[in-house]
Amino acid sequence: MGLSSLLARWGVAGAHVLVVESPGSWLTRATVERALERRGWRTALSPADADLLVVCGQPGDRLAEIVEQTWDLLPGPRTRVQVEHAEHVEPMLDAARAGLLDEQGQRQDAARRPLAPPRLEEGTQAESADDGDMGGMVGDDMDDMDDMDMSGPAGIALAGGESDRDGLEMDVLHVPLGPVLPHWPPGLVLWCTLQGDVLTAAEVDVLASSAPAPRGSAGPQVARRLDAAVDLLALAGWQAAAGEVRALRDGLLVNGPDPGPDGAAPIQQVHDKVARSRTLRWALRGLGHLDGPTDGPTDGPPDSATDGSAVPAGLAGDVYDRLLALLSAAGDALDRAPEVDRTPVLRLLPELVVGLDVAAARLVVASLGPWQLAALPVAAGGGRG
Amino acid sequence: MVEVSPLWAVVAVAALATVASFAAALDGALVGRAAGHSALTGARTPVVELARLLRQRRRGTVAADVLLWRIGTGGLVVVALLMLAVVPLGRWTLADLSVGIVWFNTMDVLVWALVWLAGWGPNSFHALAGGYRFLAQALAYELPLMFALTAPAVGAGSLRVADVVLAQQDLWFGVWMPVAFAVYCLSVVGFSVWGPLAPAVGADLAGGVLVEVSGVDRLLVLAGRYALLTAGAAFAVPLFLGGGAGPLLPAWTWVLVKTVVLVAALVAVRRRVPSLRPDRFVEVGWLVLLPAVLAQVLVVSIVVVTG
Repeated sequence: MGLSSLLARWGVAGAHVLVVESPGSWLTRATVERALERRGWRTALSPADADLLVVCGQPGDRLAEIVEQTWDLLPGPRTRVQVEHAEHVEPMLDAARAGLLDEQGQRQDAARRPLAPPRLEEGTQAESADDGDMGGMVGDDMDDMDDMDMSGPAGIALAGGESDRDGLEMDVLHVPLGPVLPHWPPGLVLWCTLQGDVLTAAEVDVLASSAPAPRGSAGPQVARRLDAAVDLLALAGWQAAAGEVRALRDGLLVNGPDPGPDGAAPIQQVHDKVARSRTLRWALRGLGHLDGPTDGPTDGPPDSATDGSAVPAGLAGDVYDRLLALLSAAGDALDRAPEVDRTPVLRLLPELVVGLDVAAARLVVASLGPWQLAALPVAAGGGRG
Repeated sequence: MVEVSPLWAVVAVAALATVASFAAALDGALVGRAAGHSALTGARTPVVELARLLRQRRRGTVAADVLLWRIGTGGLVVVALLMLAVVPLGRWTLADLSVGIVWFNTMDVLVWALVWLAGWGPNSFHALAGGYRFLAQALAYELPLMFALTAPAVGAGSLRVADVVLAQQDLWFGVWMPVAFAVYCLSVVGFSVWGPLAPAVGADLAGGVLVEVSGVDRLLVLAGRYALLTAGAAFAVPLFLGGGAGPLLPAWTWVLVKTVVLVAALVAVRRRVPSLRPDRFVEVGWLVLLPAVLAQVLVVSIVVVTG
């Protein structure tokens, strides 16, 4: 046994895994996350950090194409698996481990691939200007290319300029957020027009699954809401709290809700702990305000996104209110709230995030969870595909 | 204070690597315990990650600025070592500069350029946004840090690190300059892109500056962060914690012990506090930290002049 196989065995003990979730597969994804934690593996934030690509569910054609492009971005040694049912997770991960340890196969894979991406020839169809960026993997974004100078490095379009919110000329970038992005709603793509990291325009698109979610894949609603809270806490950078909420979620998924009178007590404790953090309140207060359905449209702050009638129950208030609602609704209404389809919320999304920087926009998007997206209705517009 | 031969830099490198590895192992143990493993399993993280990243290929991006990218990713470790050059280990020091404190300050300003270059290099939106986030954060902590470094210099009447240690024979500066010490520690967290001051590598930017970095480059950046954390903690020892002063043990041991304790404290902070978003942290930096540390320098100056 040589040094390289020793490195392989040690390295695989802490493999980093990029998890792509097809809409409707959150239970599978949660099972994968639990399995990773048990093995001491970590979730990767980007393809460059990943050894293993795990696709949960059955992506539709457009999402599948992006999964292929993402696969090309893994540096290698690399393996990929597709998990369609939660019970297949363990054998699939075992197979992936074997694949990562297979030096012969990894060497062949590496020999097939160049180390650097191919230079784009001038005049050929350049991919969007941020190629290689994980958000920029959708290669058919040609609508905005007409006004761009294609003489930049490697044939990439140069950014055009435009006045920013202070009236100064500033470069304009077109960057898609999603669909392969950690803590991001599965299947959602937000086509952003950015100046610096401030969104000046946004359009939504949904990449659906190829098959409807199988029966019984919705899972307990409490766990679902806790899962949404995990995403929000992770984006807010509070890893300890995110870990605690995730442990609660996993407990519910494995053991089911505690039927006793104290069943909701642990959730209430986490809720109180989160509510006590001044730093968190300071970071999230005032972001993404939505008027509640019962409020008159006149008494909201002037920047509230839209009239209250379209806002689903439970989403009123700002990001901080919605985070606490995710945790407290989980606590006091064990499993009685109906599943809410979030597709109508998409219509509100562009207005909510325009004018925010990417960090704030990500928090707003996460706060509107748990995301359950069907294919985009035509009325919502904005789809490009 | 004895200035030793430059060959002793090897020992400094070994000490830095050891303490930084300890920091990484401690962080791994804390993360592992939170995930339900034993702390010992978690403590293997640096070894596992080292093996994984040594085996991983280094990946490029389209139209990357490779030279500047490599400078940014590889430079952090170098800067940490250069910081360490002016930290006395008991009686010995590698460079007994008459302006040692200014030297340290210069090195920490270099981190601005390095992190930004690491974000600029890969020609990727998320990485560049991460780089600019770091600059915004640096604007918030750098001036308070400069004045926090000024306080011990004023207290000792010298910019030479050895003189600052001598001036603390009776009372540690950390005790009677608590504001400067606290601001200094916060700034160490800041220039190490660590914990609550790590939005430049945040999950909301898919890893920010780290988004496209793989293989040995990633190893250098991650090691560089731990090295900066360690070097920052090591410099706090002569500046605020009395250098090698302490009972029983020899002076160089005390320097190491104090460094390790401070590093452990900084590591423990990481997961406990939510991120401070740069746009809001700038307000804190300029409206709270800067006035507070200026008042600290004023108090120190008055004490020095009247005492």
